[in-house]
Amino acid sequence: MVFTIPKEGTTKWLEKLLEAGEVIAPVRGPCGDVIFSALRSPTQVLWDFENPLNPPKQFVLPQTDPLVKIKRNGQRHEVEPIYNDAPRTLFNVRSCDVAGIAFLTQIHEAEPADASYLHRAHNLTLISLACTTPCPAGFCVCTDSGPFLTGGYDLQLTDLGGSFLVEVGSKEGEAALAKAPDLFRQASENAVTQRKELEAAAKAHFGPETCHFGSAMRRISTGRVPDALWEKMADWCLECGGCNFVCPTCYCFSVKDLRQNGTWLRCRTWDSCQYAAFTLEASGHNPRAQRKERMKRRFFHKVSAQYYTRDGAVGCVGCGRCVKTCLGSTHMPAVVAAIRKGKWHE
Amino acid sequence: MVPVPTTCPFCACGCGFYLLANQERLVGVAPSEAHPVSMGRLCARGWGAHEAALWGSRLSQPLVNRNGKLEPVSWAEALDHVAGRIKELIEAGKPVGVLGSARATNEENYLAGKLARAGFHTNHLDFSYHSICGPLLKGLEEVCGECPPSISLNDVESSQTILLIEGDLAKTHPRAASAVMAAVEKGAHLITIAHTATQMSRLASLPLPAVPGNEGEVIDGLLAAVLHFGLEDQTSVKVHCEGFHTLRRDLEGAKITAEMRQAAEWITRATRATFLIPPVSGEGPPSHRESTALATLAAVTGHLGRPGSGLLPLLARCNVRGACDMGIVPDRLPGYRPLADKEARQRLEGLWGKDLPSTPGLDAESMLQSVSALIVLADDPPAVLPSGQRAKAALGKVEFLVVLDAFLTPTAQMAHVVLPMASFAETDGTITNMEGRVQRLHVATDPPGEARPGWQILAELCARFELCTAYRSALEVLNEVGCATPKYRPVCQGEDKWGGIGMARASNGWKFRLLAAEAPRVTLADGQHVLVRDGDFDWGRDPLVAFSPTLSRDFQSERKLFPSGYVEMCKQDADAVGVHPGRPVKLTSAQGEAVIPTRVRADLKPGVLLVPYAFRDHLANVLGTHSVTAVKVEQA
Repeated sequence: MVFTIPKEGTTKWLEKLLEAGEVIAPVRGPCGDVIFSALRSPTQVLWDFENPLNPPKQFVLPQTDPLVKIKRNGQRHEVEPIYNDAPRTLFNVRSCDVAGIAFLTQIHEAEPADASYLHRAHNLTLISLACTTPCPAGFCVCTDSGPFLTGGYDLQLTDLGGSFLVEVGSKEGEAALAKAPDLFRQASENAVTQRKELEAAAKAHFGPETCHFGSAMRRISTGRVPDALWEKMADWCLECGGCNFVCPTCYCFSVKDLRQNGTWLRCRTWDSCQYAAFTLEASGHNPRAQRKERMKRRFFHKVSAQYYTRDGAVGCVGCGRCVKTCLGSTHMPAVVAAIRKGKWHE
Repeated sequence: MVPVPTTCPFCACGCGFYLLANQERLVGVAPSEAHPVSMGRLCARGWGAHEAALWGSRLSQPLVNRNGKLEPVSWAEALDHVAGRIKELIEAGKPVGVLGSARATNEENYLAGKLARAGFHTNHLDFSYHSICGPLLKGLEEVCGECPPSISLNDVESSQTILLIEGDLAKTHPRAASAVMAAVEKGAHLITIAHTATQMSRLASLPLPAVPGNEGEVIDGLLAAVLHFGLEDQTSVKVHCEGFHTLRRDLEGAKITAEMRQAAEWITRATRATFLIPPVSGEGPPSHRESTALATLAAVTGHLGRPGSGLLPLLARCNVRGACDMGIVPDRLPGYRPLADKEARQRLEGLWGKDLPSTPGLDAESMLQSVSALIVLADDPPAVLPSGQRAKAALGKVEFLVVLDAFLTPTAQMAHVVLPMASFAETDGTITNMEGRVQRLHVATDPPGEARPGWQILAELCARFELCTAYRSALEVLNEVGCATPKYRPVCQGEDKWGGIGMARASNGWKFRLLAAEAPRVTLADGQHVLVRDGDFDWGRDPLVAFSPTLSRDFQSERKLFPSGYVEMCKQDADAVGVHPGRPVKLTSAQGEAVIPTRVRADLKPGVLLVPYAFRDHLANVLGTHSVTAVKVEQA
């Protein structure tokens, strides 16, 4: 099912969506950054923007995520799970981020399923805005997660100039359209052709970042990346963990209890596999004490055939956020290129 | 979730990010691409900045020590008690002092200074980290005068040559390390002077090895190479420098290696060169001579005062520069003006309506030993001061100790009165980074319980000492700061959410006094090793790290695994002494002796022993007041 909505109709549609629940969309932040934030009014939403550096992952997997409440009751402890079932819409989210959330949902659906995550994810409607202009650091074309999507979204919007083409991907998407049925018309053949042309044009305009995962995967999966190369690259990593935190597909965590008004909240907190103490054992032994070992582990998880077979995708959606946030220079495209060529900074 | 822009409270790089809060609880941190320093990049500390305020042992009620126990009281009672006791002690002629802090805001530090100078009529005013960065700042002042030219991290990033006196930049100042890496990637020559194979020295085009404590010899060698091969910048030397001939004479006989000549050539040929130096603590004049020599090298090669070139002191804590600017120094007034500066005195006396004391006060270390009452603002002297546990013992003897802090630090536990403060996430204010950029903090959540912003508490105390304090906001305090130190005036007027800039940029009127490093800090007798107290700041004991579940893991495990600390040595030395890794050795210096476990480290040179700053207390007898000393190593 493919529809169109005139641009002037979007405000009314957003009003209807806001009546039904929280709508999170890219807005201009207080200091000029584009950030994902809950809309107060439809006019806040941005339509022409570069993808925010902080991904919408925080709305399904917050940096600090209370999972259960623990209360003392006499001699016993009561444990109460915390679920967030509030219906929410993620609006004008980019293709890579839709792919990222789909990846995370798949991971958290695997047994044992993660109820806390799934309550949030299953109540989230994803309305994506296809990228007619690829972002400068993006390389989603290498990870099959953009610039246009073939699935994973509830609705996919494409900017056709005077209107948006709306592709329906799920029942939740249909429900979002049903909030304002008068605004949508069946799309013409012309509109569908225009969308195809826009996709082809977008694919031809990617920036310099590319990621040839295939040959890197062969090398990393068969242990053919020399240790000396990891050692060399590791000197260019400042262990900030930024690559993990801005990555739409990273989900590693730590657990910590937070005391609050006589109860305890058991919280999941984001963690980084690049931190020295990430794998530190109680004995003091650390199986990945050196930075090169942690880096090797990260890229093995992201790029190896073993994980590709399990997850059906590399652990990267080509958003290019690690390129922007890396405090050193060991972001995904740089490391994948180094693995492929067997050389670093030469 | 509302993103609140704020400034990173950890090191002095001064990155910016958004704090995310949900239902009045901090949730996380989001980077900002629009921030002029961090530009979307943060280090591990920045990414974990929300944790301590959320998980830390927070102070939420004013507490007064009664019969050896801290008991909750009302704000009025606590403040009246503090004012009453201090007035009694002042009337009895006993010395009182105030410790400001490198992790408090400018507004808080300013009011702490006002309370000490105008309220208590004393210059016993300092902050703990000043005892570490003081020698460096003094060294720079000797060469550059009162207001050294400043550069930014972006200048470092676009340098063609970088000379780095290496502590461990990647760990201490990741954002600065990032700027160095970016420059190296673009083809800059990085020259490091280091005694270990650090991450940055491995990236260097030219890693110059140095005996710890004698880095000055290498800098003198570079200076000598510049003069010997006629590489000095003629204009700079003629127009801006004094003492060139004396310098030439002092450097006669300095050893010049081929590497030094190469480094000198790279420095001179570069249009833009930057010099990075961490503070060097320790006793005696040579401890700050490395910074004088480095500033001299920058001056004679024409890189001091030139746009995009210059020297950047690598200060550890976020607001060291702000604390100095607010005059939290025993012999400086706000604006870092000398006590005797007539104009500054008159301005302050007019502003505060009180005569100011004219004799310099005691520094932090001496204050702990001799004052009867001490007000400590967001500082934990035993964790910061080189004297460590000795400082703690001295604090225990202070007759009346008042602590203002957001966290239950070891110092707060010893206090007679504890006044709970809002953390960085719960207060407005400004902090000044090492570039001199004055940046804002914004309120993201309410402080816990009855805790109040520091500026409010200090204003209440000032009011009890008959000082005018009708501030309705931190911004009004900042406006007064602008009157006290004209440099801060533009910041008060700035609309920018991140804050304004107050850097001393290049000018044509610089005068530089050239000085070589000359005396090494340590001389070795036959068979002696050199023992170095490594690093001059222990993040593991800083409350913002210690109370953060993610950031504290490394430090906690180190302390658990090595309850008696350790000293690091190379395998060759361990074999020569006949000690197995993990087994103790006996170290003897002119100051005393101690026994401590060993750890073997591959990148250390024979003859060098390192003790981490965190374990300095285990070797307090051996080090005394030195950061580098000659020792004899034997089997225990």
